Amino acid sequence: MALHDAAIIAYGETKIVPVSDRDVWALSADILEQILDRSGFETGEIDGLILSASMTGAGNPFWSQTTADYLGLELDFCQSVDIGGSSPLGAVARAAAAIDAGLASTVLCLYADTAVAETNARGRAYNQEWTAPLGSLGPPVAFGLLTRYYEAHHGLDYSALAKLAVTQREHALLNDLACEKLRKPITVEDYLQSRMIADPVRLLDSVMPCDGASGLLVTGRRTAEKRGLTRCAVPVGYGERTHLGAAEPVVDPTVTGHRVAGRKCFAQAGMTPADIAAFHPYDDFIIAIMMQMEMLGFCAHGQGSAFIRETGFRFDGDLPLNTGGGQISAGQAGLAGGGTNLIEAVRQLFGEGGARQVKDRRNALVTGIGGIPYGRNWSTSAAMILTSAG
Amino acid sequence: MTQLNDLADLARPLPVERSFSKPFWDATREKRLMLQYDRIAGAYQFYPRPTSIHTGRASNLEWREVSGRGRIFSYTIARRARPPFAGHEPFWLALVTLEEGVNIMANIVGCAEARMAIGLPVKPHWAPLSDGRHLLLFEPAG
Repeated sequence: MALHDAAIIAYGETKIVPVSDRDVWALSADILEQILDRSGFETGEIDGLILSASMTGAGNPFWSQTTADYLGLELDFCQSVDIGGSSPLGAVARAAAAIDAGLASTVLCLYADTAVAETNARGRAYNQEWTAPLGSLGPPVAFGLLTRYYEAHHGLDYSALAKLAVTQREHALLNDLACEKLRKPITVEDYLQSRMIADPVRLLDSVMPCDGASGLLVTGRRTAEKRGLTRCAVPVGYGERTHLGAAEPVVDPTVTGHRVAGRKCFAQAGMTPADIAAFHPYDDFIIAIMMQMEMLGFCAHGQGSAFIRETGFRFDGDLPLNTGGGQISAGQAGLAGGGTNLIEAVRQLFGEGGARQVKDRRNALVTGIGGIPYGRNWSTSAAMILTSAG
Repeated sequence: MTQLNDLADLARPLPVERSFSKPFWDATREKRLMLQYDRIAGAYQFYPRPTSIHTGRASNLEWREVSGRGRIFSYTIARRARPPFAGHEPFWLALVTLEEGVNIMANIVGCAEARMAIGLPVKPHWAPLSDGRHLLLFEPAG
């Protein structure tokens, strides 16, 4: 398969809001229109649709079909991707694979969720049997356990985590589409003093559940060239790992699937972490950013705090980090939230970052995290390198 | 120091039971802890699965009774919770590594904040459920 034969030629994104007064399909239509405007494509030219999982759409086992019909799309290929927060990134890889296999020629990747306004999910999972009777809130508790373990085994400098939170917040101030409620400056002290949710996880470690939508149009690179679309983002490496250590009853939760997903992604791209110009990691909790830096090879396992202290993460720094604010400072648009950092990476590669434009827009590394399993870290780890030139 | 809640009188949501986890729940009626054991791999697993995570064959699994003794693997204090736990925070949530080499998530009862530590020895504490089953919690062992 030739991942790099595909190209992202347009993106769309709505404002992220605490609770949407617009229907999930109205948000989807908004994304479609933005993408038609920016790509010059007609709806009839879109023959593939890949949706990310949606809490609003949960319960409808015909979700991609139904959404396609509401949008008036006639398709050769449609599906939903259900790997949690990794779904938006996974959708791009699946779109490239579908194009490569001849299943479709131009695929709309659509990420829309109004999980706060309307959730229809009733998870048939281990939770109902093994964690709900214990009063676990889910993700905050999982990250509380994980953070405590990390701290005990490697040492953890909370002011380093604070630096990540503050930098992302500074970026959200420059992002008009970030949730307004979060567009207030914070300091290291604010982070350290913010109240505990699941010790040692603080409020300012955590994402705020929100509603919103985003999307991308993926087509063949040759098609893009033929139509004179020079502004595109090309996926040159991808790795995905679900349930690292699935056959081990006890695992080290500070080791994640990004170690193997990253290795595959970098090898495919022919790059190393030193080549990465900007980093847009999935962020549900601040420590996940640091753990990904370790697992993807920006620094050694357990050395995240020191790496953070020594590195500048502002959009004009050494390694620009989640320049749109990340989900933690822009808001988490339900299961579509993985689209936020992905779209920001594409926007930057297109040179449309505005006041927060990075200088080096040769490439960007984007990641996904999806699903909280029993007693581990997370279910799916994904990593993709996008280049502006191919 | 925070005073932690043991959630003793709380009407907990009843755990859903699967066809393949029934032996676990049946044993809790007598406060006995049963784990799935893969006799080919020579290894335990938790939570109960429809097959062996070690070899992929359900036919390799048997149920074995174990003591439930273990040590704290990691812990957190839940400060926010949904009903019926809301209003009963803070309380412990921990992962316990049993001597048999599996991790189990549970509330920890009878443990002051100063005493909690990774590696702390614990033993089972069975909390009654409204249907006669018991929920496996842990308490400090000594």
